[in-house]
Amino acid sequence: MLAVEYFEVECPEPVGAGYYKQITNDVLLDHNLLKVIEKIHIYIDPKIPVFIAVGVLKPITTVVRVGDIANINPQDSKMTLVITDETYLASMLKIFWERFGKDKVEQPDRFTVVLYDARADPRELEQVVIGHPGESVNRDLIYALRCVAPEGFRLRSERFENGKFSFVASENTLAEDIDELVKAKFALMGETP
Amino acid sequence: MTLVPVTYKGGIYQHDIVIDLIEDLGGYVVQKHVLAQEVVLQCFVPKDDIELIREISRPIFGEVTDSPLVGTEIAIVSMSLEIHHLPHPSCDIAEYVRRIGAKSNMVSLARGPGKRITGLNDEERDVINEHDIAVYLMGNFETCIEHKMPILLRGIEVPVVVCGGPDKETLVRIVDPPVEGYVGGVGRFMRRTKEADQLDKLDEIIAEITRVLEKKREDIAKDPLSVSPARLMNLIREKIPAILDVTSPTPLTVQMAGLRVKLPYDTFAPELRRMEIEDGITLGDVAEIVPSRMRDYILVKVLPFSETNTVI
Repeated sequence: MLAVEYFEVECPEPVGAGYYKQITNDVLLDHNLLKVIEKIHIYIDPKIPVFIAVGVLKPITTVVRVGDIANINPQDSKMTLVITDETYLASMLKIFWERFGKDKVEQPDRFTVVLYDARADPRELEQVVIGHPGESVNRDLIYALRCVAPEGFRLRSERFENGKFSFVASENTLAEDIDELVKAKFALMGETP
Repeated sequence: MTLVPVTYKGGIYQHDIVIDLIEDLGGYVVQKHVLAQEVVLQCFVPKDDIELIREISRPIFGEVTDSPLVGTEIAIVSMSLEIHHLPHPSCDIAEYVRRIGAKSNMVSLARGPGKRITGLNDEERDVINEHDIAVYLMGNFETCIEHKMPILLRGIEVPVVVCGGPDKETLVRIVDPPVEGYVGGVGRFMRRTKEADQLDKLDEIIAEITRVLEKKREDIAKDPLSVSPARLMNLIREKIPAILDVTSPTPLTVQMAGLRVKLPYDTFAPELRRMEIEDGITLGDVAEIVPSRMRDYILVKVLPFSETNTVI
């Protein structure tokens, strides 16, 4: 909770608001998203019915490099990589296949990759970029907000721009003036959409 | 002889002594689970003989506990099978009632979620009505519960316990038509129930289900069943050997006033009707044998004494 600067759930039913604050917290925590969100404001009105989530993301500039997930041990004619985190292993292997050819890259077990006749400097290899965690944040956030929103709210409108997001869902056709409401919720956080 | 539902837990070693004892005393073993080195028996035993069973099972480290829900089949009605309701709270509650002996089935509605679009089709209604009790797991907003309940309760004849986010008093006020039981403070949540206060809530649901079923039991006792469903279970196991080949965890599910037989209706219904219970009285004389809406199963509804004039 501490990582998020602003976190409010607004609802005409105070009991429901309390439950939804808990649900939002649990879902964002489960999806590892609390650390990328700076501000989030959720508005639910079951009478209309409408669910609005607006917020601001923290800038994600980091990239994952080979050196972050593997230790490289150069030997005579081969290089052995000891993997510490498998998350980006698949994309790393893909890059190696393209660069060295499939016959030169071998993975004898889960945590070991061996490069044969690799003509590359280990220090240069450590700097190869293999993943951009920021790329999937939008997709993950939409999925998480779908889990938070009441299930019957199946008509959705999502927007992601300049690190700000808005997610509107309803059971009925979304009203034409919904953008005004979204703007008003952004204003509550001291932001503009 | 009053039979009471209990659970026996003990080691696998010499557990057959306990089974023989229960059967000799006139009780019935409804379900038997063997989990590695442990055996769990859910059974009906004569009230006066519980102490005797405790005494005999003491040397083999067996434990006898009361399980008021043994011999009941409970429908846990979840609004959908989406991640919004599963695995928490639907599975948590279904699993918790199973621990104290009930057979719980999760009934998920095709059009459960939503306020305007909610609905209950005839198949769902019939499946829910085949159970002893239905537990409706509703959401967190009283507006939605108030709007949905009249639709979801249409045609439901079994007792209903409604669980929802608002407190109990609010649920009592908004649920229309009124139902038999209410548990407040259990709406939609997305975390595992493992803290003490969450487990207390689950216990509250059990207490409410038990209270409602006790009342149903009393109603049944006023006009007793012609034959005990637990006894029928043993008879079917003896006389229709095909049931032994069914791989379902409970091929014969005992209910409070009936039995679900997990055999195809067309093939086995005539055989069941002809099955003799005692002194030439067949099952067809004391029970209605109807096709279940659940797969191709058979539902045996035992008739009360007032309709058959026989108790065996």
